[in-house]
Amino acid sequence: MDKIREFIEEQFLIEFDESFPETSDLFKEGVMDSFGYIQLIRFLEKEFDIKFTEQEITGGVMVSLAQIELAVEQKVAARTG
Amino acid sequence: MCGIAGIVDPTQPAGALSGRIEQMLARIGHRGPDGAGYVVDDGFAMGTVRLAILDPNAGAQPFGDESGRYWLSYNGEIYNYLELQRELEELGCRFTTHCDTEVVLKAWITWGPDCLTRFNGGFAFALYDRKTGDVFLARDRFGKRPMFYARQGERLLFASEMKAFLAVPGFEFEQDPAQLSSILGQWTPLPDQTGFKNIESLPMGQWLRLRGGELTTRTYSQLRFDEGPDVASEGQALDAIRERLTRAVELRLRSDVEVGVYLSGGVDSAIVARLAKDFATKPLSTFSVEFDDAEFDESADQRLVSEHLGTRHHAQHITHADIAEKTPDAVFHAEVPAFRSAFVPMFILSQRTQAEGIKVILSGEGADEAFLGYDLFKETLLREAWNELPDDVRRARIETLYPHLAHYGPDDIAAVTGLYHQFSLEKMPGLFSHELRFQNGRFSTRLLKEAGDPFEAITALVASTEGYAGFSAVEKAQWLEYKTLLPGYLLSTQGERMSLAHGVENRCPFLDPDVFALATSVNLKFDDGFVEKRLLREAFRDRLPERIVDKRKFPYRAPDAAAFAAKRPDYLDLVLSEAELSAMPFVNAKFAQKLANKVLSKPAGEISTKENQTFLYLLSICLLNRSFVRREALPEAKLPRVEKVVNLTEGALT
Repeated sequence: MDKIREFIEEQFLIEFDESFPETSDLFKEGVMDSFGYIQLIRFLEKEFDIKFTEQEITGGVMVSLAQIELAVEQKVAARTG
Repeated sequence: MCGIAGIVDPTQPAGALSGRIEQMLARIGHRGPDGAGYVVDDGFAMGTVRLAILDPNAGAQPFGDESGRYWLSYNGEIYNYLELQRELEELGCRFTTHCDTEVVLKAWITWGPDCLTRFNGGFAFALYDRKTGDVFLARDRFGKRPMFYARQGERLLFASEMKAFLAVPGFEFEQDPAQLSSILGQWTPLPDQTGFKNIESLPMGQWLRLRGGELTTRTYSQLRFDEGPDVASEGQALDAIRERLTRAVELRLRSDVEVGVYLSGGVDSAIVARLAKDFATKPLSTFSVEFDDAEFDESADQRLVSEHLGTRHHAQHITHADIAEKTPDAVFHAEVPAFRSAFVPMFILSQRTQAEGIKVILSGEGADEAFLGYDLFKETLLREAWNELPDDVRRARIETLYPHLAHYGPDDIAAVTGLYHQFSLEKMPGLFSHELRFQNGRFSTRLLKEAGDPFEAITALVASTEGYAGFSAVEKAQWLEYKTLLPGYLLSTQGERMSLAHGVENRCPFLDPDVFALATSVNLKFDDGFVEKRLLREAFRDRLPERIVDKRKFPYRAPDAAAFAAKRPDYLDLVLSEAELSAMPFVNAKFAQKLANKVLSKPAGEISTKENQTFLYLLSICLLNRSFVRREALPEAKLPRVEKVVNLTEGALT
């Protein structure tokens, strides 16, 4: 899961710390925009060999690092389970 | 074209203000290298640096009336001045010159501020009534010519460019984080913003009066979409477009010096060149910039137009080194933060234009706003209709909308479709059309420690604009373009600030009020808007090469961060050094440094548009801080030959 953190930090020029916790809403904080989000989804799908549905992508759930990690964990578990 | 500057300071006698106004004019001497002139009175001084275009020998400024009561410092051109002169002569006015300056003065004396609605042109002027002491400033309806002012207690300063204020003792520039947030968010300043505290831009279509220490502003011209003529058929529309544009070009060729054309390679400037060529009595000079990089270069199309019309073409090749070398000078002339580097080549091009002996050029600016040339308008139409459209139509439209953006390729269509879905309903009141664009802007505001709400000012502006709520979604998009990107970047940073840096005046036929009014009558009336500027193209189909008529909109851009990464000019320290960055307390130094390092070290392909954009903002904010706030690396001020000095304390009113 560190790869997700690294990707977001590298791609969106932030560092997660006390002032910017993993639960921060990346859209509301102006860190991620729609195209950045698409890049992220593509990265996750490739990196973890998973596929998100349109509903999952646009559902407005995966807005923080914590939520994204959780969603990916669930996807990976569903695939391997 | 000229530059003007002035100062109202009741504490200062005329004698004390002479030196001051000379120094202010010297700071904007590039705008009018042909001569300087000024008028002083107790508590008041104003002057002009002049680029002599009409009746060059008679137009020395400031221009006074016969009685010596009214004095005018005037920048710009009123293209319909001959018609106004005839009208004024019928009312009993007598004229001693063939200059539009005299027409402006007499029109003011005859009609007062109502004269402004009669003017077809790009202008800004200051008028002093010696009898009452009133000072009156005005600016054209589209914001073609600039007018900045600063109020400090009883003192009022005004000038065509803010750099004139550098010459005023005690005046200090301070960057305003709240305005910077707004500028970064919406890409350009709003009509009244400058990026500096306590300096305002007089918005387009407004006048300002200082009377007895009291400042009053009024809007004399609103942007409206319901004042065009009735057009019943497409054939009629095409005839009217040809007729009005031909007239607009003809009016803008009124000049006692040779007029050239800037060719971008697109259809708009090709139309302007075509029409200018029709009126030309000698070979027409055309000018273009070209790049090594195919991503930016349009030289093949520029040459095609030039060859088709038989023009004397001057192509200015622009390299990464040129951009890196000239950026500090160009930013100094622009005076406001810029979101891309494309204005720098225009700075270089105006230098070339001046060297070729051309003082006036025509360009195609304003066509995209009037005739719906930007993808933004199509995107707005699509998002607005989104919830009524079947899936296959949505996807087909998305696929055709942005073929040049990789992330709109077939692989990502599903995801992008989903995102469009999120943007199908208005979230930012009144700003529906620009919500996607403003996402990039929001990213750029991360350069600031406290960005606040970057969109507070623009939201308030549209909410307070009479009639705005009743506009269609596309009209709102147009309105926003006419109030932000067009005046705040295209006409200024990339337009007149760059051309006037080298004494070249630019004129825009597509900003003719009659052309704009016609466009509002015909847009979306005979098509669905998905072929951009279709009517404009059809109107000139037989008069230009087919490849140009059918060319898709190619946004004019230049190498951004790549140019700086390749050349590593010394001034990059401003954005890389922690000490330099922390000297600007409003900047988020950590983010800024991270961004600069990424942008300057990664291959161009790995840098996103918004990162490039944000880097240019950072660099321009730092360069402006260095020259305006810290007053370091300032170019030399140069006063043109003084050709007129009037001291009003030495003569009585006649």
